[in-house]
Amino acid sequence: MSTSDSDVNSKGDYQAIDTTPISLLQTVLEHGRVWEDLAAQYGVTNPDPPWKITLEATCDLLAGDSCVKSYKEVVPGSCALPSLERRADEDDLADTIYEDVPFPERQLMALAHTMIKRGLIEEGELKCRMLQVEQRLNSG
Amino acid sequence: MSKIQHDRTHHAKMATGVGDPQCFKGKAGKPKFKIGDRVSVKDLPDIFYTRTMVYTRGAVGEVVELVYESPPAEDESWDNTDKSEWFYSVVFKQNDLWPEYSDEFSNDSLETELSERWLESA
Amino acid sequence: MSDHDHSHKPAPMVDEVSDFEILEMAVRELAIDKGLFSQEDHRVWTEYVHTLGPVPAARLVAKAWLDPEYKKLAAADGVEASKAVGVDWVTSPPTQFGTPSDYCNLRVLEDTPKLKHVVVCSLCSCYPRPILGQSPEWYRTPNYRRRLVRWPRQVLSEFGLQLPPEVEVRVADSNQKTRYIVMPVRPEGTEGWTEDQLTEIVTRDCLIGVAVPKPGITSNAKRPIRKAIHPVQHDHDH
Repeated sequence: MSTSDSDVNSKGDYQAIDTTPISLLQTVLEHGRVWEDLAAQYGVTNPDPPWKITLEATCDLLAGDSCVKSYKEVVPGSCALPSLERRADEDDLADTIYEDVPFPERQLMALAHTMIKRGLIEEGELKCRMLQVEQRLNSG
Repeated sequence: MSKIQHDRTHHAKMATGVGDPQCFKGKAGKPKFKIGDRVSVKDLPDIFYTRTMVYTRGAVGEVVELVYESPPAEDESWDNTDKSEWFYSVVFKQNDLWPEYSDEFSNDSLETELSERWLESA
Repeated sequence: MSDHDHSHKPAPMVDEVSDFEILEMAVRELAIDKGLFSQEDHRVWTEYVHTLGPVPAARLVAKAWLDPEYKKLAAADGVEASKAVGVDWVTSPPTQFGTPSDYCNLRVLEDTPKLKHVVVCSLCSCYPRPILGQSPEWYRTPNYRRRLVRWPRQVLSEFGLQLPPEVEVRVADSNQKTRYIVMPVRPEGTEGWTEDQLTEIVTRDCLIGVAVPKPGITSNAKRPIRKAIHPVQHDHDH
């Protein structure tokens, strides 16, 4: 589905997300175990992975740090990724390269993809940070 | 570009404890329309941040509520929040919105909100 | 951290760290390092989001069914009515002036035997989180958002809800600052019920409007996620 058909009007100043796969994220998809499978294997009844809400919070905060600050403390223009854009990107990505990914993983992949393509983070630094996080989580 | 500039949430909120859209109460002046008025939706030039869906453009509906005053979404995204408008909840008949909507369900309707700039008397 | 044991009691945590868990954490840490938001703000917000769920909205409906005056208040002023179920749209969130994406204008849409409401946000999936919690996956999909506005009866029938033609099906598209919950018609077979009993049958799906409350049904049905075959193209000339 082309972006001109998308819900959010694509005329004017919105650049549709580049849905070309990102190799780091493709690797995650290839090796990552989705919550559906993990929960089934370990007999866990939580329908959602423990990181689902922290992911939601990240999305909210990227859309405006006025989530928690009182209005006087909010720095104008400090919103990194407005929700309308993030959701438009997520819709396009969910329709294409992340179509078969289950829900919370799909939202996560779309967020990472958007942040990389829109220049908020770089693929290289994300790869490094993932290695660090993995070491930290598996050593504790 | 490391940060996208457009953002709907950053504008001068009047006071802690008041809430949004409550903080814009009284700022829009006299509403142009009242409950029961028939209005049509203008087809204004589009920008990405519009919250007036394409499917309502040109349709005629009825004002059912004057819901609140607020800067319109199109202005808020550009941090231009000096002017507030009245927002109206408008009900449309589905068979006025969609050409193929079945006559069998002619009572069906859709309710959505539009700010004053998008509306004119029908 | 896991209290996994070897009886048949399911554990809340798994013993394995998935790449997705690592990715989520890495993305968040990088965002914090770059100053896109602070760790403390994330913690405060996450704590708040954890408190949210559908019970307050269910209780609002149950109270309205039992008290005609409260019902009138709920229909006229959803924000005020929310206070009776412990939700202050302005001061419950950490900011003390509401949440930036949920705003402070709840409207309670009252169903009648002739009028059935169902809620959607066709643009992006806005949802009344402070009183209803997190939205389900199906509510966020383009499939639901693009089809409900145009083919509501087809979508509702996929949810198992058929309505006679004379009933007005009204789709509420929450495209601006208002957030909606539906107050369904109180079902038969609930005479003499307590507020708690009534609250139990007002499920999240009833509050969105894709289901109606029934005695004995206290959970949401599992939804198959269907790909849109004829999604709406947002151009009503076609």
